[in-house]
Amino acid sequence: MTLSAIKTGKLHLIPARAIPNLVRALELGAVLLLFLLGSEALAHGIEGRDAAFVAATRGPAPGPFLYLGAKHMVTGYDHLLFLLGVIFFLRRFRDVVLYVSLFSLGHSITLLCGVLGKSGLDSRLVDAVIGLSVVYKAFDNIGGFERTLRWRPDPRATVLGFGLIHGLGLATKLEQLGLHREGLLANLVSFNVGVELGQVAALSVLLTLILLWRRTRLFSSAAVAANMTIMTSGFVLIGYQLAGFFWRATG
Amino acid sequence: MTHSTEAEITPPPSRRIVLLVTLGAVVAALVILFAGILPAEYNRDPTGLGRLTGIAKLWAPGQQVVAANAGAAGAPVSRSYPTPYRSDVIEIPLKPDEDPERGNELEYKVHLEKGGSYVYSWEVAEITNPEEFYTEFHGHTAEAGKTMTVAEYRKATGSSDNGILTAPFAGVHGWYFQNQSLKPVIVRLKLSGFYTLIPDGQPGNETGLHAKAVAF
Repeated sequence: MTLSAIKTGKLHLIPARAIPNLVRALELGAVLLLFLLGSEALAHGIEGRDAAFVAATRGPAPGPFLYLGAKHMVTGYDHLLFLLGVIFFLRRFRDVVLYVSLFSLGHSITLLCGVLGKSGLDSRLVDAVIGLSVVYKAFDNIGGFERTLRWRPDPRATVLGFGLIHGLGLATKLEQLGLHREGLLANLVSFNVGVELGQVAALSVLLTLILLWRRTRLFSSAAVAANMTIMTSGFVLIGYQLAGFFWRATG
Repeated sequence: MTHSTEAEITPPPSRRIVLLVTLGAVVAALVILFAGILPAEYNRDPTGLGRLTGIAKLWAPGQQVVAANAGAAGAPVSRSYPTPYRSDVIEIPLKPDEDPERGNELEYKVHLEKGGSYVYSWEVAEITNPEEFYTEFHGHTAEAGKTMTVAEYRKATGSSDNGILTAPFAGVHGWYFQNQSLKPVIVRLKLSGFYTLIPDGQPGNETGLHAKAVAF
């Protein structure tokens, strides 16, 4: 309704009815910020006891690595935000499977290659690009590319491309832990399988919520606001990671 | 090009809305970063927003815990110190548990150079059930803005303890005392060795306790 008012040219700057949406977006943003600040996992690495376990493990340990992969995914709001952006407008289950498979393919390749080939990349910089992927997807969702460039990159190609970046993020986290070469491949594969399982678990929750929300009249009016919130979170992630990259020494 | 597999916002937002939304997201992210994350996580507050909201207070230097176990028995321990020898008795009053201002707990520490030692003995006569008094004997560096090095010597319940400490690093070394009983108590702490007292309000003696020097 709000948007049709814009379309018909009745309103010029921000339509009055869009204000509640912006307020809602800011509220969502505030809740998200509290959530982020409240979680110790702001840096979202593998920490504490888990890190100690990984560092101490020699030889294959499929169970623990499977669990760690799943945990990393389920608690990884950077990956989850991107996935939320990806499935936001997917209508058919088949497409969800297609896009998520492309994403999984991408991050599996770079997770394996990154660790085995010792990418040596800075995890903060990779995480900043992951933040950018969140911004990208939200911008794409509101039709940003069509409106500003009159051309939209194929979303299937970009989800694969960003999948590669997310996989590098996973790889840099694992690399920091100093994995033993003994049993490395088995552990990596286990971790990767765990990531996929965690992704399925997280996606089933996200999809259910999105499907329920899509049935309500609120959806089309709040979709722009929701994507603005996702975009804001992406920008925050970029800033947070870059600040960490430049000022790590303060820690 | 539209991909028919996707649902769409109907009608799609105009170019102006797209730009406004993007700008709005950038502005909101900058506010969150400059008012929240940079001051709280990195101690950077170029806009002063962190101080204004008090969020900057969340920042604390990182901690590094060092091993503080005594070395192998039989290792030579003879040592001399440039720091003058002194002895003090410090009386530390603590309010009953559930004191609204948390006057039932406080920290008292003194400064030791690296390798500096003191002999200590403390007891709380008023405590009848030793389970109702908790202490953490620990030390840390106290240089503002630097990563804090922390050593933990002993965490225990009990109404008295005595021993010797040789500091693993220069810093403030002492106790966190917590009265868990329902009556006011006084901790009587005796110290002797090669340390210096901490002025009121400085890290280690925030509550401004005054030691009584013991004459020899």
